[in-house]
Amino acid sequence: MATIQLTNVSKEFRLARDKRVLALSAMDLTIAEGEFIALLGPSGCGKSTILHLVAGLDEPSTGTVLVDGLPPKDLQAKQQLGIAFQEHALLPWRTVEANLELPFQIAGRTPDRAHIAGLIELVGLKGFETARPSQLSGGMRQRASIARALCLDPKLLLLDEPFGALDAVTRRFMNLELQRIWQQKRITTILVTHTVEEAIFLADRVLVMSGRPGRILREVTVPFPRPRTVETMRLEAFHHLVDNLTLSLEPSD
Amino acid sequence: MTNRLQQLAYRLLGLLLLLALWQLAGKRHLGGKTLPAFTDVASVFTVNFRRALLLRSAIATSTSAGLGLLLGATLGCLTALTAQLLPALSPGLNRLAVVVNALPSIALGPVLIITAGRQATPILLAAIPVFFLLYVAATSGLHSADSRLTQLFTATGATRFQRLRYLDTPSAIPALLSGLKLGVTTAMIGAVVGEWFGAPTGLGIVILNTMQNFQIPLMWAAVLVVATISLTAYGLIGVLERSVERRRA
Ligand SMILES: Nc1ncnc2c1ncn2[C@@H]1O[C@H](COP(=O)(O)OP(=O)(O)O)[C@@H](O)[C@H]1O
Ligand SMILES: [Mg+2]
Repeated sequence: MATIQLTNVSKEFRLARDKRVLALSAMDLTIAEGEFIALLGPSGCGKSTILHLVAGLDEPSTGTVLVDGLPPKDLQAKQQLGIAFQEHALLPWRTVEANLELPFQIAGRTPDRAHIAGLIELVGLKGFETARPSQLSGGMRQRASIARALCLDPKLLLLDEPFGALDAVTRRFMNLELQRIWQQKRITTILVTHTVEEAIFLADRVLVMSGRPGRILREVTVPFPRPRTVETMRLEAFHHLVDNLTLSLEPSD
Repeated sequence: MTNRLQQLAYRLLGLLLLLALWQLAGKRHLGGKTLPAFTDVASVFTVNFRRALLLRSAIATSTSAGLGLLLGATLGCLTALTAQLLPALSPGLNRLAVVVNALPSIALGPVLIITAGRQATPILLAAIPVFFLLYVAATSGLHSADSRLTQLFTATGATRFQRLRYLDTPSAIPALLSGLKLGVTTAMIGAVVGEWFGAPTGLGIVILNTMQNFQIPLMWAAVLVVATISLTAYGLIGVLERSVERRRA
């Protein structure tokens, strides 16, 4: 598993010739091996930007991003990164099974059929191996994306609002599923979410970010033992923490 | 289902109306001596040796058009793939494609007759515009991959070649089919024009000879055959296009 170190990271985007947006400013963050982090914050505060920097899809304007002491590009090249972003990104012309073969093909390995079958079962898609994305519901596609992200036993899992497009019931179900999967693998995970309940339910540590430019406002270690259940969500202390974090998300001015 | 039947019925109705107007215009000589009635043109097909001539010519022209389509599409796609793999070459290849497309076939025909021969000219004149069409279609198709998928490929360390193979090329298929659909008609026109420069056989030759000999119904019959072949191929690729779309939607 991987440790992540962001040191004095800022990110500025150029919009026009002399129009710039400071998306992140002076960000320091350390994530331990096997830790599940949730990033919470208003829309546009730079959550996706952080994931892009950690995934090596973008470069910081200042500061450094290190994964296991190395630049993220190294992790890319070693195929040790699993990502699943907001809208499922499955290849529409491939079946579920064939979509899960993709990471193997990119890694230049022969697809491990037994492993793929196991993952399909793990995310509850047994029986849908030969279905194409267009034949699946939104929740099922998202589960397929997560299964694909897990294919090569990544050291780092980056999830950007993976359940953002789902209804509340499916979402809760997916939260339970994700926890179950994560408990089996204990992969270092960063989850970006809008939903306070989701963050608290899933994470070891919740980071609350401020509006633009993004910086970390609060850091909360979640006290509830695992496995967390539907009952956990009914605890007084759970509601209390939800209210508390929701308050700090509201704009102060 | 009823919707599709209804659509089909409307189309047939439209076709019948067109034929009826044609028939009326021909019988009343509204289009002068050069526009015969539909039945006069249709009766050409009942004459055995005429039908044989049209069939033979149709096969020759379709073969030229088909080979031209294949040649042009292959070269267009290969050029687009090259530009995608070696982006540094892309501006140069763009300019080449534009220049090739700007060559007027009327001016090119005689040159091709001398250099490539009478058989090859219809094929080449079909291939040239198809090359341009498919180069443009493939280039835009190869760039049409969803940005989320592009990110996924980058983050998982895909090489440029893997991206081309597993992402860009499959993403380009709908654009390629649209290009091919337009290419079919273009190739038929190119083949017919190419035949005018002196091909041994073909519908273009039939059209040219009948025009000179004032065999108006036969000329119209040949034109009708050209249009039917074009539209049939166009329709078939359209069907393929829709089935690809349905699989991906
Ligand atoms: N590629 C980009 N070009 C220009 N501006 C960008 C780009 N990506 C993000 N931004 C800007 O950076 C800020 C943070 O964006 P993002 O990280 O997507 O926010 P979040 O995911 O928290 O909603 C936003 O103001 C957004 O407009
Ligand atoms: Mg975002």
